[in-house]
Amino acid sequence: MLVSLKWLKDYVNIELTTEDLAHRLTMSGLEVEEIKTVHPQFSGVVVAKILSVKPHPSAERLSLCTVSDGVQNYPVVCGAKNISQGDIVPLAKVGAIIPGGYTIKSSLLRGEKSDGMICSEAELEIGDDKSGIMHLPADLPLGLPLEKALNIEDTVLDINITPNRSDCLSMIGIAREVAAITGKKIKFPTVKIKESNEDINSLASVKIIDSDFCPRYTARMIKSIKVGSSPVWMRARLEAAGMRAINNIVDVTNFVMLEMGQPLHAFDFRFLEKEKIIVRKSKENEEFISLDGKSRTLPADTLLICDGVKPVAIGGIMGGLNSEVKEDTQVVLLESAYFSPSSIRRSARKLAMPTDAAFRFERGIDPEGVVKALNRAAQLISEISGGTIYKNYIDEYPKKIPLTKDIPLRLDRIRQIIGTEIKAKDVTGILRSIGMVLKQKGKGTYLVTPPSCRVDISREIDLIEEVIRLYGYDHVPVTLPIVDVKEMELTPRLDMEERIRQLLTGSGYTEIVNYSFGTPQAADILSLPENDERRKTVMIKNPLGEDLSAMRTTMICGLLETAKKNANNGSFNLKLFEIGRVFINSSKDELPEEKNMVAGLLTGEITDEFWCSGKTVDFYLLKGSLENILFDLKINNCRYIASSIEPFLHPGKSCGIYLNDKKIGFLGEIHPDVLEKIDFKNNLYIFEINLDILEEVYEKKKISYREISKFPAVMRDAAFVIPDAMEADQMINIVLDQKEDLLEKVIIFDVYKGKGIVEGKSLGLRFFYRAPDRTLTDLETNAVHDRIVQNTVNLTGAKIRT
Amino acid sequence: MINELKQLEINALAELKTAKTEEHFSNIRTKYLGRKGLLTGLLRNISQVPDVEKPLLGKLSNELKNLLNAKIEEALRQQAIRNKEDVLLKEKIDVTLPGNAIKCGRIHPVIQIRREICSIFVSFGFSVVEGPEIELDYYNFEALNIPQDHPARDMQDTFYISDNVVLRTHTSPVQIRIMEKVRPPLRILSPGKVYRRDSDVSHTPMFHQIEGLLVDKGISFGDLKGILTAFLKKIFGENTTLRFRPSFFPFTEPSAEVDIRCVICGGNGCRVCKQSGWLEILGSGMVDPSVFQNVNYDSEEYTGFAFGLGLERIAMLKYGISDIRLFFENDIRFLKQF
Ligand SMILES: [Zn+2]
Repeated sequence: MLVSLKWLKDYVNIELTTEDLAHRLTMSGLEVEEIKTVHPQFSGVVVAKILSVKPHPSAERLSLCTVSDGVQNYPVVCGAKNISQGDIVPLAKVGAIIPGGYTIKSSLLRGEKSDGMICSEAELEIGDDKSGIMHLPADLPLGLPLEKALNIEDTVLDINITPNRSDCLSMIGIAREVAAITGKKIKFPTVKIKESNEDINSLASVKIIDSDFCPRYTARMIKSIKVGSSPVWMRARLEAAGMRAINNIVDVTNFVMLEMGQPLHAFDFRFLEKEKIIVRKSKENEEFISLDGKSRTLPADTLLICDGVKPVAIGGIMGGLNSEVKEDTQVVLLESAYFSPSSIRRSARKLAMPTDAAFRFERGIDPEGVVKALNRAAQLISEISGGTIYKNYIDEYPKKIPLTKDIPLRLDRIRQIIGTEIKAKDVTGILRSIGMVLKQKGKGTYLVTPPSCRVDISREIDLIEEVIRLYGYDHVPVTLPIVDVKEMELTPRLDMEERIRQLLTGSGYTEIVNYSFGTPQAADILSLPENDERRKTVMIKNPLGEDLSAMRTTMICGLLETAKKNANNGSFNLKLFEIGRVFINSSKDELPEEKNMVAGLLTGEITDEFWCSGKTVDFYLLKGSLENILFDLKINNCRYIASSIEPFLHPGKSCGIYLNDKKIGFLGEIHPDVLEKIDFKNNLYIFEINLDILEEVYEKKKISYREISKFPAVMRDAAFVIPDAMEADQMINIVLDQKEDLLEKVIIFDVYKGKGIVEGKSLGLRFFYRAPDRTLTDLETNAVHDRIVQNTVNLTGAKIRT
Repeated sequence: MINELKQLEINALAELKTAKTEEHFSNIRTKYLGRKGLLTGLLRNISQVPDVEKPLLGKLSNELKNLLNAKIEEALRQQAIRNKEDVLLKEKIDVTLPGNAIKCGRIHPVIQIRREICSIFVSFGFSVVEGPEIELDYYNFEALNIPQDHPARDMQDTFYISDNVVLRTHTSPVQIRIMEKVRPPLRILSPGKVYRRDSDVSHTPMFHQIEGLLVDKGISFGDLKGILTAFLKKIFGENTTLRFRPSFFPFTEPSAEVDIRCVICGGNGCRVCKQSGWLEILGSGMVDPSVFQNVNYDSEEYTGFAFGLGLERIAMLKYGISDIRLFFENDIRFLKQF
């Protein structure tokens, strides 16, 4: 809310500096976000003195003046009559800008030189007087800029009003706060109504059909008005508050809304058929053209203000084009009503019409302020437009608006919440300063009735907040709680994620964070089959764009996109990972399933500075990173199964990752078709693992120490020629399944194809033999080694390569 | 003759000094000490020396022999060491070439901030908990005292999945879910992603928040100030000036916005703090009794406070980043800086 200090001073004396005031307001809950200075619409206009006035030799209606700004004398041709020697006047010098954006230039007027312009109030938009030149007080120093001389500059505070403080959506509301925090008295505008003899009730009537939506509707009528522009003082105030002046009738309704917080509406009475106001809810799809000229289809249950025939306004939101005040309007019906906050909010949202009026109604206006505002506006309209107010006002009030009364407030409870004692005297003083009425009820307890404008206060805690806020948060001493810490059961996954983060960054991967939503085409880009779970996408109903509308079901697309963006920026060598959630729509539950995942991507050279290797990343580098993670998490029984194919991975260079027969993820090279779809040149390697499944086994594994043998190991190598299709894993398992006690471990030391191998491939295995209690003899070692090799050959049909 | 012997010693030592190779050394040995060497040659003329001088001459020539032998041995040993080093020096590498290990990656800057904040609160005895990112309207709004058709809903522009399912707009629903399950006392911290329908230089539709909640008997607003002051001093430094000012959150009352003195301008006013000299850092407040009522906590017996802060904002202030979108563009050149 924009608050003009000049305007504010109409209601409360302010002795603080602007900065002090802003600080005090901020520290009591009305956050001043910005302090702006509003400059007048002119510049370069100074206080000047007329030294002489002579008639213009060739123009009867003009005169030639010599004007001084205290430094220099200027010849000025002037057309006004009300000037004479010695007058102090505003002079727009050459180069000055006056309202309307005109720049004053040196000119010849009917042959006489004129270096400037002597101005009227109206020309400078300081006032409405355009009858002649503005006369300034004689004691003003010559040459002083006019805005300084007249103190025209205004300061506007931009105050952030929190949604609970509807009472502060008006100048008087802010003044009330200022009065409370500075200990000043508030000055309300005096409302004096001069009524004619004609009674409004003989001319018009109001009927409320839906009193839930509109508990109260009041109206006054004013006749013989002259529609025109508002006086400068009112226009200046509206503009300072960020509103555009329209005409003197509409301006008054806006002015009073800004002053008192009560939105008002003026109808041209000519257009109210049957001289009636009927308040009802809309039927489905009623059409209506609002003041802004837009045709609107109204949803059902929109509150409508109608005349005897048709709707004339959307209640509490905007008036209608069919009944707006026009230049030739003579009689207006002025509406001041109370509309139910939630119904206004619902309608304003559905219609996407967040008007100033709706903003106030939906936050709750002062139920007691309805008639005050009606009278204030009627008075101003009659004063400004010369109208005559009809006798009496209509007050349809079918449903009492509840007001909060007698809220119990315990001093003990204040201490409990704040943590420090505030004296009873201070508590009552603070509450009374904001208009609360207190009754003592027993020791340490009061019954508090808030003013009707404080619709946010209904409970003890609301009162306590008022007390502490005005007492000052700064004055509450800092303490530290003493709490028995009860251990919560922690999610091991968070610990797991931290370890994975450490490991992957240590292996060169950089963590990225992508949006959880993306394009709905993701599943198609990945060529996922129709029945794939990852097609069960959760869609956002109101996304920021189509490409941000689908909650991700896999992290792969985000990684691919990130790789692509980086490649476009010239970063081709990438090691990336992301830890986050994917979302799978559930037909059973209201909420989708959320899975925690880690995914990674490799592309390009192994290092940026590849002077020493020049090697590009490959499947095994990625697999190694994954194995490291699993090793660190002490999960060592994962299996890599090539037959588990993801459609977006290279069918020959990918695998599924299984833990206890449960698929936990996949890894592999991106399928060339997908590369083509995303227009990426280099090979990409990716993995994705479900952390929730890993969590189930994480830390459940107990470590039990095995004694380290003091005796040396004996190594034996053997190379087996096996078919291409046979996997290394299978060979290792065949060896290990023989369960020879002396075999400590077996590793693969060589995979070879080519010269010397006619068919298949050669797999070189290195066997390590060791006994816990003795040094093995050659004889012993050979016996067990030969047994293993022979069995392996028998079981696989492999040939021994010699 | 003794003089000749002395001259021989001087010459031999001088020659040794200039010798460079093993060959030189053995030449010198031969030249002076060899069978046809100069010393032998000199001693051949010993018969012409008077007898009284003979013993002395014999002694001197022996000493010279030993001296030269020792010198040559030492020089040869030194030479051998030098030769070995020469071989090693021929293997000299360029130590300024970059290292060969795979360069470390980086943890995302926002996640780094999250770790830092979590570890501070864990040291205060808070436990880290989580909740769903796609939430029921009830948990995201209703249970937090934000009813349908309430203007407080305007504070957060919401992504909807259906009429009663939303992308959570804050991490606060987690406190409801935990309180439904766990009786007080309670000290929890819930970090996570949150979503708001907003996108510009200072807003992204997804960002990270941390929400904290402490509930027990006798927890007061003073405690809220105490814990949050201790936290902010740990994060921004012991000399950080902060202020608590009244604000509004539907699920806390009284509510407080916590500002720190602008870290950019030191309070003099700049673009970042909108000339105010203060930066809004976190929102907080005493848990509203109606929230306790929703989870069946007795608000007369228990009181508590909650707080929430945006991680990107803290990261932006700490690192001087002016565009929040950078965090989610994942440009490696950006991420590598943290
Ligand atoms: Zn600053």
